[in-house]
Amino acid sequence: MSKKRVKEVNELGPLIKIGSGIALAILLIPVFIVVLTGLNSGDHLTFPPKGLSLRWILAFFESEEFLSAFLFSFGLALIVMALSTIFGTLAAIFITRFNFPGVQVLRALFLSPLILPGIVLGLALYIFYVSTDIGLARSYPGMVIAHMLVTMPYVIGTVSASLFNFDLNLEQAARSLGASPLTAFRKVTLPNISNGVMAGSVFAFIVSFGQFDVSLFMATPNNTPLPIALYWSLRYTFEPTAAAAGIFAIALVVTSMLITSKLVNLQKFSGVKFD
Amino acid sequence: MENNKEKNNLLKFFYTYRPIILVLPALILFIIFFIIPVVSLFVIAFDKPVTGVLSLQGEWTLKSFIRIYNRSLYFNAAVTSVTLAALSSLITLIIGYPLAYLIAKTENVARNTFLMILVLCAMQLDMVIRLFGLMVLMGDNGLINGALMYFNIIEKPIGLMYNKIGVLIGLVQFSLPFMILSLIGIIRGISPAVVEASRSLGATPNQAFWKIIIPLSMPGILAGTLLVFAISISSYIVPALMGGWKVMVMPLHVYQQIAEMGKWQFGSAIAVVLFCMSLISVLVYQKVAIRIGGGRA
Repeated sequence: MSKKRVKEVNELGPLIKIGSGIALAILLIPVFIVVLTGLNSGDHLTFPPKGLSLRWILAFFESEEFLSAFLFSFGLALIVMALSTIFGTLAAIFITRFNFPGVQVLRALFLSPLILPGIVLGLALYIFYVSTDIGLARSYPGMVIAHMLVTMPYVIGTVSASLFNFDLNLEQAARSLGASPLTAFRKVTLPNISNGVMAGSVFAFIVSFGQFDVSLFMATPNNTPLPIALYWSLRYTFEPTAAAAGIFAIALVVTSMLITSKLVNLQKFSGVKFD
Repeated sequence: MENNKEKNNLLKFFYTYRPIILVLPALILFIIFFIIPVVSLFVIAFDKPVTGVLSLQGEWTLKSFIRIYNRSLYFNAAVTSVTLAALSSLITLIIGYPLAYLIAKTENVARNTFLMILVLCAMQLDMVIRLFGLMVLMGDNGLINGALMYFNIIEKPIGLMYNKIGVLIGLVQFSLPFMILSLIGIIRGISPAVVEASRSLGATPNQAFWKIIIPLSMPGILAGTLLVFAISISSYIVPALMGGWKVMVMPLHVYQQIAEMGKWQFGSAIAVVLFCMSLISVLVYQKVAIRIGGGRA
């Protein structure tokens, strides 16, 4: 079986391989260039490159602009991850476990921030904050809420998928042996879906950390996430310091995805959820 | 006695509906900060436009939408948005299919996971950082122009950026991972037996690919194309940086009208049009995905 599949690829050989190479190049070359720019010794990255140095990495650690934006995004992503994981996991349990009327509508509602263009959601929230005047416009809590809306679908998608795959008989066995519903859930079900919950929270973290669209209308000089800071600097110049900040962001994303690959089966990943 | 019975009824009610407590935090958050704001956006889009004023005028009108239709500036932006998103769908399909096929047919777990991690990292990395790399590559003083001039192939930089080509390349880079992820599941689901059958009946590998595998991947192709269309048309950051505000698309107008001109009602109307365009393609996408994937969108 496996040999035959490999043969299939090999027979189609060159076309598939060349095509895959092009796709990987388009995906990865920009990332490599950021790393190169952050590590190059010249004032710009030019062709041919001048040489390697750590000067821009050091400049990043001394830069008020990028370091504070990086730390801001990191802290924001941690808070958003914690809140989205709690809210999202509870909601996912409800959606997959209980047959209340309208549960499907709820599921669609919770996934819908994914299909709403980010800039439209950001604008809708901004208008809401400004017109209700409840102190959320251009505030930190206002930004946390915006990020929760776009990260919760990932938690709900991933956790519902792992709940869906979990064999309910196990929990019923615990119940018949005298465990209360809560104990049975805590001791039997939760350990079995913990990987899904963790994968969902890693996604929540990374989606919040890289979030640009919904932050656009929310950012202020005091509340500037990294993507917004990079955007403002990119509009005028290519600062290698920004690329150095990018290197740390790349390291963060790669680490997160390596963790995810240990937690869940990436072969079954399809966009938002693992099934 | 009476009291106790009432208490029992209350307890019964509480136990039956207790699970709702689980979903309440998320539901309240979504009602207040998702449903109400989106509905307000629609309301404001149909309100009488007054520059610099956000509060409700209470006069329903289609003025803002008529203005989008009549002014060539905004109408052309809508056309540009749709054209670029459609081209982006087509190009990501052509470029993404081979890699999706390779990943779907790679049985070696380590290699498969490695390729998936590469695609996911490229997808999850902040788009602004990816655009930084793309701009250093494609700018007038960038690596491509630098290399071409270094080897005396060209004398003056060729304009790869701040035009539609640049925006399109940016959109392809942005949406390619989504296309690949949409295709992998469907391609993996194609039974090798079907392909073998066609081969044993005398089809060449090429014929089997074009006549069997491609038609069977059609659902994934449709789903991926519509998804890429929806996310490409919604992108603000790609046209803002790769187009340098020279290629005006709808998300840029939304930001400009609101943040720079204070035209709340008109900006909201453009946002509503943008929302509807991406919603239509997503609804078709879900129809397609549900029909072929047994409910897995």
